[in-house]
Amino acid sequence: MNKVRKLGLSLLNSLLPVLCAFAIGAVIILIIGQNPLTTYWIMIKNTLFTWKGFMKTLHYASPLILTGLAIAITFKANIFNMGVEGQLLGGAFASCIIGFSLKSMNPTAHVIICLLSGIIVGMLFALVPAILKAYFHVNEMVVTLMLNYAIAKILQVLASTVFRDKAAGYVATSPIESSAMFNRIGGTSITLFFPITIVVFIAMYFVFKKSRLGYEITAIGRNTEFAEASGMNVRRKIIYMMLISGALSGLAGAGFMMSEKFKYTLDFSGSPGLGWDGMLIALLGGHDPIGILIAAVFYSALKTGSDSIGIFANVPKEIVAVIQGLMILFLSIRFIDQRTKVFENFKTRFISKKAQTEEVQ
Amino acid sequence: MDYQRLLYDAISCGAPIILCVLGGNFAHKANVLNIALEGMLLMGAFTSVLFTMLTKNILLGILICILINLIWGIVFSVMCVTKKGNPIIAGLAVNMLATAICAFLLKVLGMANLNVNSIVNVAGLKIQIPVINQIPFIGGIISGHPLMTYVSFIAIFVMWVIMYKTKFGVYVRVVGENEDAAVSVGINVNRIRYIAVLIGAVCSALAGINLSLEKMALFTNDMSAGIGFIAIAAIFCGSGRPGLTSIYAIIFGLAQSLAINLSISAGAYSGLFNTIPYFMIVFILAVVSIIKMKNNRVRGFKNE
Repeated sequence: MNKVRKLGLSLLNSLLPVLCAFAIGAVIILIIGQNPLTTYWIMIKNTLFTWKGFMKTLHYASPLILTGLAIAITFKANIFNMGVEGQLLGGAFASCIIGFSLKSMNPTAHVIICLLSGIIVGMLFALVPAILKAYFHVNEMVVTLMLNYAIAKILQVLASTVFRDKAAGYVATSPIESSAMFNRIGGTSITLFFPITIVVFIAMYFVFKKSRLGYEITAIGRNTEFAEASGMNVRRKIIYMMLISGALSGLAGAGFMMSEKFKYTLDFSGSPGLGWDGMLIALLGGHDPIGILIAAVFYSALKTGSDSIGIFANVPKEIVAVIQGLMILFLSIRFIDQRTKVFENFKTRFISKKAQTEEVQ
Repeated sequence: MDYQRLLYDAISCGAPIILCVLGGNFAHKANVLNIALEGMLLMGAFTSVLFTMLTKNILLGILICILINLIWGIVFSVMCVTKKGNPIIAGLAVNMLATAICAFLLKVLGMANLNVNSIVNVAGLKIQIPVINQIPFIGGIISGHPLMTYVSFIAIFVMWVIMYKTKFGVYVRVVGENEDAAVSVGINVNRIRYIAVLIGAVCSALAGINLSLEKMALFTNDMSAGIGFIAIAAIFCGSGRPGLTSIYAIIFGLAQSLAINLSISAGAYSGLFNTIPYFMIVFILAVVSIIKMKNNRVRGFKNE
């Protein structure tokens, strides 16, 4: 009973903010003179209720699952790695450069090298704030936010000078070799990247739920000083967490590059960016792996669906970013916490009413 | 390099950072981490230009802009003071919402950016201070800034007085240092925190006005470029003290001005100079944190 109640509470805590955000989004759509219900229906019709569309949703969900996990593993320990976006861009750029500069490679080897380079660059970018946080107590949030801007600027310069593809009419690198691309499977949008994501997801599930590190992350998040006092090496754990987070973001970037974009452009990660989407997904999923998986698929459906509302419903697709912001705003508070006794209140009211009526009789 | 230009730009770039820092100090001292400065700054920049364009009146535009930012401040404080939500997540949500709303409204209006050059005369808004602008070198640096830049420097003193010489300032610091003690002597903790956040909202509105309306008469997407976060770095470095944090704000302004002035003559690689402020902030924050840690005598790891 207690377990069911806990699950119900966490479900309500994730669902209510989403509903509130959509309600306010609907008001905004009404104000600009469109019908919110048809807009929302167009958004999810193709992406959730057709086979091809759903495959596309899963395809776009892959990087989101990874960034969601990357955010969750640090946020759960109250370490705020805001640098997922920068680490993702770095990983993507590294895999792109390896992807087009190594010619005539064995596809398997090429793919593995590209993914590894993305992971390593992501970890390197996460290592700097991790060391600063763990050994010098530098606020990791400010550092990662600042490094995001710096990394984006540096990649912009690199993409528009040294690595620029002169043939392209806009700022972009050369496309990666076909040996580094993930091919589509069976006429759908799914590539090999999705199964890889699922394997990583299962591994992370065990890290979160069954491993010692997962337990220690929860403990550090609950009470850092107690964790330290009871003998955990908090410093080393922060480095581990940030490295895992960086590796996941790097992998997300490399995979998205090799399965979807194939070259680095200035709007590679979109707006507001896959890393920031990951934050919403981690919060929506309650920092729990299964929750993250569901949230990533749901949010991916919204995001891919947002392209069609721009075409069919006359609502700018930026509305999805507004709804995303609203969701995060409402997810920052607990609508219902452990102490609010929804079911008990309901029960006592119901029973006392019954008792009253009995008394009257 | 033109040193006069460099220092003029340092003051010019430093002003919005100083305003954000001064506003954020109160929230920092009251123990509410106000990450939302960035979003409020962007919102201030956007609404001031938007409503100046709609009402064709600068003063009205500024007034509405401050009112809207107050609403944002109330939203933020409802989330993290009344509802006891996570201020970091609520703050980032405000930032993302601000960016999203600006992009959305620009799309609805069908414009790539907002331009009010026809209403606002940027050169006319620059104030020439009578005597000082006659001084050779220094006159060209200090004189000729728009109003909000001067307001920001005057505000350093005003905020210092509010923080250290008034009852309210004492209350803010008590609330931050020991909430239980504040409650026990009958201070309304939530009200103090609301006011602290709202001061931040107004100050970042002024910073936004300075950034878009006064200096360029133009709003483009993402024009805040992390100034709110830079301000938070300055607040951390100066531990929320008005004078000290303003000095850090000016240093960060100097870094931005260096980036602007160096990149003028650098050609294709000029973008690399734009990274100077960010790396410099990380470096300074690291140095300050290491010094603070050396003076810290508490055993073990403490997560703030």
